[in-house]
Amino acid sequence: MYVARASGLHQLHPLTKVLTALCLLIAGLTLPGNWTSYCITLLIVFPLSAWGKVFPNLLHIVWIVSLPFAISVLLIQSLFWGAGTPIFEFWLFAPKVEGARYALISLGKIILVMSSFLLFSLTTRPDALMIALKQAGMPSSIAYIIVTTLQIVPSFQRKGATILDAQRSRGLETEGNLWVRARALVPIVLPLALGSLMEVEERAIAIEARAFNSHKAETSLIEIPDTQFQKNFRTVTLVAMPLLMIFGILWRL
Amino acid sequence: MAFINIQNLTYQYPTSKAPVLKNINLQIEQGEFVAIVGPNGAGKSTLCYALSGFVPHFFKGELSGSIEVAGRQSSQSTLSEWVLNVGLAFQNPFNQISGAKYTVFEEVAFGLENMGVPRTEMQVRVEAALQLTGIADLAQRSPYSLSGGQQQRVALTSILVMRPKLLVLDEPTSQLDPIGAREVFNTIRNMAKDGTTIVLVEHKVEWIANFADRVVALKAGQVLLEGKPSEALTSDLLAEQGFGLSRYTSTAREAKKQGLWKKDTLPVTLDEAVEGFKQ
Amino acid sequence: MFEKIKKDFTTKTLVLIPIAIAINIVVGELVARLKLPIYLDSIGTVLVGAIAGPWAGALTGGLANLIWGLFTPTSAPFFYVAAVIGFMAGLAGKYGAFEGETPYWVSVLVGAVFVFSLTLFVLAFINVNVDETGYATFPSMGELFSRYLLLFIVAILLGGAIGYFLLQKGGYAGLWGLITGVIAAIISAPTAAYVFGGVTGAGTDLLVAAFRASGGGILSSVLAQGSVSDPFDKMLSFMVVWLILKALPARFKAR
Ligand SMILES: Nc1ncnc2c1ncn2[C@@H]1O[C@H](COP(=O)(O)OP(=O)(O)OP(=O)(O)O)[C@@H](O)[C@H]1O
Ligand SMILES: [Mg+2]
Repeated sequence: MYVARASGLHQLHPLTKVLTALCLLIAGLTLPGNWTSYCITLLIVFPLSAWGKVFPNLLHIVWIVSLPFAISVLLIQSLFWGAGTPIFEFWLFAPKVEGARYALISLGKIILVMSSFLLFSLTTRPDALMIALKQAGMPSSIAYIIVTTLQIVPSFQRKGATILDAQRSRGLETEGNLWVRARALVPIVLPLALGSLMEVEERAIAIEARAFNSHKAETSLIEIPDTQFQKNFRTVTLVAMPLLMIFGILWRL
Repeated sequence: MAFINIQNLTYQYPTSKAPVLKNINLQIEQGEFVAIVGPNGAGKSTLCYALSGFVPHFFKGELSGSIEVAGRQSSQSTLSEWVLNVGLAFQNPFNQISGAKYTVFEEVAFGLENMGVPRTEMQVRVEAALQLTGIADLAQRSPYSLSGGQQQRVALTSILVMRPKLLVLDEPTSQLDPIGAREVFNTIRNMAKDGTTIVLVEHKVEWIANFADRVVALKAGQVLLEGKPSEALTSDLLAEQGFGLSRYTSTAREAKKQGLWKKDTLPVTLDEAVEGFKQ
Repeated sequence: MFEKIKKDFTTKTLVLIPIAIAINIVVGELVARLKLPIYLDSIGTVLVGAIAGPWAGALTGGLANLIWGLFTPTSAPFFYVAAVIGFMAGLAGKYGAFEGETPYWVSVLVGAVFVFSLTLFVLAFINVNVDETGYATFPSMGELFSRYLLLFIVAILLGGAIGYFLLQKGGYAGLWGLITGVIAAIISAPTAAYVFGGVTGAGTDLLVAAFRASGGGILSSVLAQGSVSDPFDKMLSFMVVWLILKALPARFKAR
């Protein structure tokens, strides 16, 4: 996900970015007003991503991912809204204004969720985030899980493809009717899972041999730069988030 | 008292029906380079795990007898303390990459981070280790972008940098191509020259003959024989017991029966064979 | 309590979790490539639960969605659902759901009861009456039975067949999968409805459309959609894990 750029956003402390993204997300979902999420996306998230020089990347991903959503939500909610003002009537179809409105509001939330997430994931190296989280007190085991997952997924995808090819060359059918395709699943999933489970022992030994379980306080090779201003800013976001949620709930009651 | 002292070691995995190691006695001196040979299932890996503390601390199971390294008993120690004394590397290079690091430099530092070594010292030690094993040029590469041989050398470096008193290597070249294997052998030789005590399980006996100080032959969980490489690897006992020995040894043994091999001792390496047949 | 949770996390478990998440992703992609109408993207999560206990399962599920969220941000808000699935798999493992074999009749019974209750549930939702004040009344069971008798008989037969052919000797694991799926459907509906307007952008949206067309509200249509697809999906996931664990040599099951 990470896109390397020389920008001020890239240089911010990873936790500053995570908390900002979360804060924007929560604000967009809880603050009153149906179009708040659009406002936050357009007025805050997009400009921030432009500052981070990743606006085109962000827009591209948001477009690809939200398009099927947009189509789905617009069709379903406007066509099947029930009682309401029809936009037009054609044969059995009578999309309703209220439904379309609801769909657009939903779409705004989806876009906000995606773009605030991307704002930080496009500009933050996962390992930097992990080191920062570790320094903030997160157990190093969680950091290990996250970074390792990101690194091994490609090799597992290759492994899956290899098994698929091997089984196909042995005559496994992967095209045809539903039942044929469904039956192809087990001869592929089983070897993949069994092979991986047998690897677990060796991998565990390998990292234990490197003092993974030592009870000493860990040190870190890489240092993540931080500033007092950012520290204060993070405190503000941490206070703001629960307040936003409470306010959002009270407003709706 | 020997530097490494195994006495009456008998061990059985939780799920195995009979002991895998039976009454093993083995002494190793500081700085010695010992090679272990044996057929599949002989218990070589299990012995490696016993030396490096994973048997019994990680695998559990029933263990009797004692394992002592540098005056400390494995049974009196925890695994996380023991791994600081004894380093372990094994066959599959891919499984030894921690996965938690993005560059070789950081990967090698992983163990030191866990040990709590301060940052400046860490940098010095990692650089020194990379130099010793000859992979300084890979420092900024991703461990996942490397060849098997390179990955295995990263694994060796990652253990070496922790400065263990004993280095246990379980068939580190068996999954590598000839080029990769040669790279790894050179690295091991550098480490041996550096004075590290090494226990190496290896099938490539010609290589052992040149570099190991001593060979220990293991079969069905028992020590069958130990001695100087040139003697142990050419002994009739190992040949009778079906050990995978050098083809030069077996050729010369046949030749000797027909009177074509004149020397008393049998060869292990190509050079020795060439020299002997010249006579 | 905390110590007990910590005991679930041996080094082997920590190593297993990334591998399990990778399995989730790879199998999920494979299923999509084979164009199967299921997700099957929680096999790894269920595996961890089964092998390493509920807490490890929960952590795997939660992290899987959050990490995958880096690539498809829409899965992140459902992290708590995945965590519950992993936790349930852990409970199932504790109660021996992944060990041994059940007789075929158990599987038939599980399948039949499930499809029957599913049908009942869906019909009740479709036939709900909402008066002007917004007060909803569900139709009575008797009313439904008399109106859709044939449908119910078909449902029971179909369920029995599903149990017989799909669950085979893993009836107990399948049952746990079904229960887990029902819970997952219920707890994911609010997020799906509120954050995503009731759609996922995937094939299952057709179901949502169908329920909306027959007059269901947004939340209830999402819930109904989830109740149709989730239990079936989780039943298969638990089944596959049961198969995997049956084939795994005993020495690799040790924690
Ligand atoms: N974790 C385990 N649990 C149970 N039995 C095991 C385990 N690991 C090894 N064994 C058994 O112990 C015996 C010795 O195995 P070991 O791996 O030590 O042999 P080896 O000499 O290293 O063989 P190879 O040349 O194949 O590596 C074998 O019979 C093996 O099946
Ligand atoms: Mg071995």
